[in-house]
Amino acid sequence: MILQIIVSGILMGFVYSLVAVGLTLTWGVLDIINFAHGEFLMMGMYSAFWMYSLFGMDPLLSIPFAMGIVFVMGYFTYRLIIKKVINAPGLTALLATFGLSLLLRNLAQFIWSPNYRFINQSIVMDKKIVLGSITLGVPQMVAAISSIVMTMAVFYFVEKTKTGRAIQATALDKNTAKLMGIHTEKIYALTFGISGACVGIAGALTATFFPIHPESGALYSLLAFVIVALGGFGNIKGALYSAIIIGITEALGGFLFGTQFKYALVFLIYLIVIQIKPKGLFGW
Amino acid sequence: MKKIFMVLLAGLLVFSLALSGCAKQQVQQSAQPEQAKTPEEKVDVVKIGAIFPLTGSAASTGVKLKYAVETAEEIINGEHPELDMPLAREAGLPNLGNAKVKFIFADHQANPEVAKSEAERLIQNEKVVGLIGCYHSSATKPASQVAERFRIPFVAGSSSSAALTERGLEYFTRIAPNDDMETAFFFEYLKYLNATYDAGIKTIGVAYIDNEYGVHAAQMVDKWLKDKYQGEGFEKVVDVKYPKDLSNVDTEVQKIKAAKPDAIFHASYIGDITQFVKKYKEFDVVPKAVVNYCGGFQDPQFVVNLGKDADFFSGSNATAPSLFAKMDTLNKINEIYKKKSGVDFDGPALEDFASAMVIADAINQAGTIDSQKVMEAIKSAVFEAPYFVSGKIKFGKNGQNEYSASVMVQTQNGKYEAVWPVDYQTAEPIPTFPAWKNR
Repeated sequence: MILQIIVSGILMGFVYSLVAVGLTLTWGVLDIINFAHGEFLMMGMYSAFWMYSLFGMDPLLSIPFAMGIVFVMGYFTYRLIIKKVINAPGLTALLATFGLSLLLRNLAQFIWSPNYRFINQSIVMDKKIVLGSITLGVPQMVAAISSIVMTMAVFYFVEKTKTGRAIQATALDKNTAKLMGIHTEKIYALTFGISGACVGIAGALTATFFPIHPESGALYSLLAFVIVALGGFGNIKGALYSAIIIGITEALGGFLFGTQFKYALVFLIYLIVIQIKPKGLFGW
Repeated sequence: MKKIFMVLLAGLLVFSLALSGCAKQQVQQSAQPEQAKTPEEKVDVVKIGAIFPLTGSAASTGVKLKYAVETAEEIINGEHPELDMPLAREAGLPNLGNAKVKFIFADHQANPEVAKSEAERLIQNEKVVGLIGCYHSSATKPASQVAERFRIPFVAGSSSSAALTERGLEYFTRIAPNDDMETAFFFEYLKYLNATYDAGIKTIGVAYIDNEYGVHAAQMVDKWLKDKYQGEGFEKVVDVKYPKDLSNVDTEVQKIKAAKPDAIFHASYIGDITQFVKKYKEFDVVPKAVVNYCGGFQDPQFVVNLGKDADFFSGSNATAPSLFAKMDTLNKINEIYKKKSGVDFDGPALEDFASAMVIADAINQAGTIDSQKVMEAIKSAVFEAPYFVSGKIKFGKNGQNEYSASVMVQTQNGKYEAVWPVDYQTAEPIPTFPAWKNR
């Protein structure tokens, strides 16, 4: 039983990391908090849902579509909103993303109704692997594998490619990066777009096993904030590791201490860690 | 930016603490509001406040409740001679010079604090003469306390926590059977399954959301077990309380699976119960019966979302589409409702429809908007309710509707069938769940 709980927690951790990887780019690398990150996830889920609903497309096949839609959303969020307020004093940029999150959530409710929707047909739907006493849901397994692949891809992109190095340089010192000939505005917009693409993939994958509704991104984005802070700002691998820690804490803690406390335990762990390591477990 | 974010979070925390302190202070300061006025002048429009979760996690249900109240408004303000019920034949309220009724909607976002402030706004700014709502018992509780403070009648439709009618409020009434009545109803249904179908149900599990509605339902299970049903062989083997905002139910379902209860009592909303069913299937949890308090199971979206996996679940419900053929008035009201909502009436929607009809009927019977006289009418009248299987509504001293409006429904082949009591049966109950792989 305990083994099943731990395995479930690890799988959930991978799912959380899918959402957190995109956030760690914008928050950790570019130091911009995107409160609409959860709503980007919701848009990814709806993209998959509508491709399924209108064209009967499997959510896994609609991943490129969801990724593209949310990439464009992220890109234009920067170009049309963040860019205008990024140098404004105080918390203007942060509040702008907060406003965007409310707008997207309410628009979704207005256009698509607040109904909870599910995708009932997919090649992975209702499939499971039973290993002795352990049951592994195939949709969660697919999400977990995708999470690892996506994390590695983003890590490789940021660490090994020219554009990725430009992102790092912009994150370290925007003005110096400019002097080195990096078009920092393009880098910012691109990073927002990549962050959106990541969460768009997460949306399409999670749509196979989570309810889709206008509020569906809210809780995941809150957990993603904790994961990014716990993993160390800007540390892509750190986000993956801390997501797994959060997943196990939630599952095991909920089982041992009562399921009503499972999120309280997650935030307790977070508070303890930042007291000891303010820059997160894997921060530098 | 990170530092600023941390400071902002701390600031928000301090601000919310300060706000709750202010709220308490406000309650103390306005503990003696002025008595509701008794207008002598002619009334053209009677305003009634309707507070529902129109956004937030329960918005899908809240929007349907709004359509139900709009259906009542249309029936009251229009002429519907085809409906054999009070306030349908003539336009408006006959005893108030055919004054129209206008329901002013407010959104509590599934947040009790917001429900409280919206109740205050509706009473003080909109000058409503009565309130209905709020679906969530946790929201109905503070909103009705505000109504009590201002001596404004509050008729709750679908809020089921028994605690609501145990507070000794003078201006509060409730139409839905409370969770106390529902719990006894569930145990009697299980006894019926055992006696008639030899279902062998003895052990009980309770899965409930961590709010007023869920926690009180769970308390009622304990109460009824101690008072009566333990002595008849029932035993609780697992108690699973889960958080209000939920990303997954893996751990919850694992706990239930480990305890292997014969029957599971669920106090859950639509998003939660749907996730539970998915996980029951994934982890191959096969109880003999699952009975649901008034909540997510009763929402027709349950069947839409889950398809054949929704079959064989049960719950108390004020209505079921299968009953429409037997109840002409209900069928006709449903046609009006369906034009607005696109779906058939479900139990909570019908109960909130009833709350709108009852408060308007009481104002009409009182012939005034004077809140005290309206409340007297609410407490003393027997309201005709041909849309309920009970046919009428009568509030007891504590404000609870004495006529239980519920039947036990079970999902069979994607339809809600009335399965118990036998008098209202549209199909026989299927006493035990088949294995998931055999569906």
